[in-house]
Amino acid sequence: MPQVMVVARNFMDMVAALPAAKLDMLYDSAFICEAVLRSFPPLAKKYVLQMLYVSAPVPAAAIEEWVLDEYASKHKVAIDRLVQLRVFVEVRDRRKEVSYRMNNKFQANMQKYLVSGGSLPREPVPSSITSRLPTVTELENYALEQWECFLLQLINSSQVEKGTSFSSSMMRTFQRGLLSSRDNEAPKLSENGFQFLLMETNAQLWYIMREYISSAEERGVDPTELISFLLELSFHTLGDAYSLNTLTDVQRIAIRDLAELGLVKLQQGRKDSWFIPTKLATNLSSSLSDSSASKEGIVVVETNFRLYAYSASRLHCEILRLFSRVEYQLPNLIVGAITKESLYGAFDNGITAEQIIAFLQQNAHPRVIDKIPIVPENVTDQIRLWENDRNRVEMVLSHAYEDFPSKDMFEQCCDYARDNGFLLWEDAKKMRLIVRGEFHEEMRVFLRRQR
Amino acid sequence: MTTTHSKLYADDVSLVVVVVDTNPFFWAGAALPFADFFSHLIHFVNSLLLLNHLNHVVVIAAGVSSCAYVFDSSNAGASGAADVAATLDKASRKVEEFIKQDARETAGNGTVAAGGAASLFSGALSIALCYIQRIFRSGTRHPQPRILCLQGSPDGPEQYVAVMNSIFSAQRSMIPIDSCIVGTQDSAFLQQASYITGGVYMKPQELSGLFQYLAAVFASDLHSRAFLRLPKTLGVDFRASCFCHKKTIDMGYVCSVCLSIFCKYHKKCSTCGSEFIRVMPDLNSMPDQRQ
Repeated sequence: MPQVMVVARNFMDMVAALPAAKLDMLYDSAFICEAVLRSFPPLAKKYVLQMLYVSAPVPAAAIEEWVLDEYASKHKVAIDRLVQLRVFVEVRDRRKEVSYRMNNKFQANMQKYLVSGGSLPREPVPSSITSRLPTVTELENYALEQWECFLLQLINSSQVEKGTSFSSSMMRTFQRGLLSSRDNEAPKLSENGFQFLLMETNAQLWYIMREYISSAEERGVDPTELISFLLELSFHTLGDAYSLNTLTDVQRIAIRDLAELGLVKLQQGRKDSWFIPTKLATNLSSSLSDSSASKEGIVVVETNFRLYAYSASRLHCEILRLFSRVEYQLPNLIVGAITKESLYGAFDNGITAEQIIAFLQQNAHPRVIDKIPIVPENVTDQIRLWENDRNRVEMVLSHAYEDFPSKDMFEQCCDYARDNGFLLWEDAKKMRLIVRGEFHEEMRVFLRRQR
Repeated sequence: MTTTHSKLYADDVSLVVVVVDTNPFFWAGAALPFADFFSHLIHFVNSLLLLNHLNHVVVIAAGVSSCAYVFDSSNAGASGAADVAATLDKASRKVEEFIKQDARETAGNGTVAAGGAASLFSGALSIALCYIQRIFRSGTRHPQPRILCLQGSPDGPEQYVAVMNSIFSAQRSMIPIDSCIVGTQDSAFLQQASYITGGVYMKPQELSGLFQYLAAVFASDLHSRAFLRLPKTLGVDFRASCFCHKKTIDMGYVCSVCLSIFCKYHKKCSTCGSEFIRVMPDLNSMPDQRQ
């Protein structure tokens, strides 16, 4: 499930893109430090742990020693990430040698964590005040319902009876990358939109959150505050009530939007009101490090290309319709067939075979999840074959070379291009060759040298 | 594709079972007081939990005549990080209780000779393996397991067979056993355990910086171990204990049927009952060497 990682990493890139002063401000909160640490690649996490009690700068060369030579690239990725997020600060001494020191605030927060363990961002409201809290299953159903409602509205604003209260301008921001609308035509799902629908819930959530935060400035809200609140939110306890009075103004506005998405449930008591984080919220920062889909799957695929989805949700039906022919819908079951036509439709919309197969595997019903392979091999093969059918012609930007002065030179050029893996075609008789476009510059340099 | 490891979480999610030596005979004379050692341990447990919210840590105490679970992060996991802190507090109380309880049992037992008593590592290892098997069999996805032994007291040769059996079953289920020696002498058992299962064996030089060793070496998950320069074992003590007197021996007799090891010549194998008809020559003149 690489999508979650990609989308979530994009979110962290957004955090990394904040100005240094703001980033340092974020590290005042231990929760953000924790969330940031957990988003790192394993090697970077290890470096942090090892440097936790080192106050003096450590030379870069010494850190490099920790890793085996052949994995220097992994080391570089880890260090780059740490420097990008300002967890490691570069220090240069007089001889221009690079050393790294840990961000003081980050270090202090993490040290505190090790001594006392984690803590909660805020105290829950005592149960004597809250009248009746929803059970975990009620809360989950609520979250799912809200989220699906939001998604349905996102892809097809006309089909929803109960609309969310998002302003249309807000909705448009979300739809920006997902729908493509030509003039005088109803907006259609774009390539990105289809891929978005096939993503896992957490990935979708991160995508929406990113749009939400990046549009914050237009609404006159500081994105830093939103980021810190979102990350903090994920450390609240699932199903406990937290008073709205502890929030700042910005957070109070944000929480209403989040309630629309199903991240929190708002409840009104006799005197004050409170919010209850749902699973969507508490999974938010955890999905930064791991794509743990604890959700139970629904789909069974048979070798005869039939598809059974145990679900009553309209959203699921819509998603399945993207790449299969839905044949009947029973109260708890959607039956469909994967056909050539339905798949061609999906490919036309820019969905790839791998995405469809990944979707079928990730959402497999618990009864088939233990089977190897989860989706019958003949079905996955056929899906890939049908996709290949459409890709018989591949376009490659290239350059043709002809009129070589000598056979010798032609052969040298051929060898040079072939050795570098950029040769596409050669005709020894007429002394012509075609080379990938990106290799043109090198080719020119080479030819000039031959002269 | 994720089909091959669909039952595993991402690479760096780990289940760490820590086996802690609580042998009072050892800690009474140890260079590092037990309280300090325990705080290093809590730091270590916290840091594992910090690295990944799916990480799962279990601590098992191994006393002189009993073993017990002391801490399990999954008990606290459901309701958040604050509970972990509370559970850790409880863990330290549990350890104290366990030590007292264990002392009573040891006193009642009466067989343990004062001084040089070994901790019950075979029992603790078995508990750890059982726990991991339970995790394997429950749920759809599980983290990558490993065992870390923190041993201080010397090996108990009488546990040889049980320990070796645990090691082999760990090897079969691909569970590495890491060992960190906090005492003064190397442990032949743990050297073999780490060697056979592909874990790391280390004897820190400077015990006051124990956490740094734990964080640098034993906190790294199995996935990133492939990239790291980890301490190498210099040599492994492969000596076995004999089945008849539980002594560690260099040379001995091996039953040709069931491979039981004896330090003296027997007419009949005590394990499988095979009779050795031919009179064996003296051990010193023609030894049957066993590594």
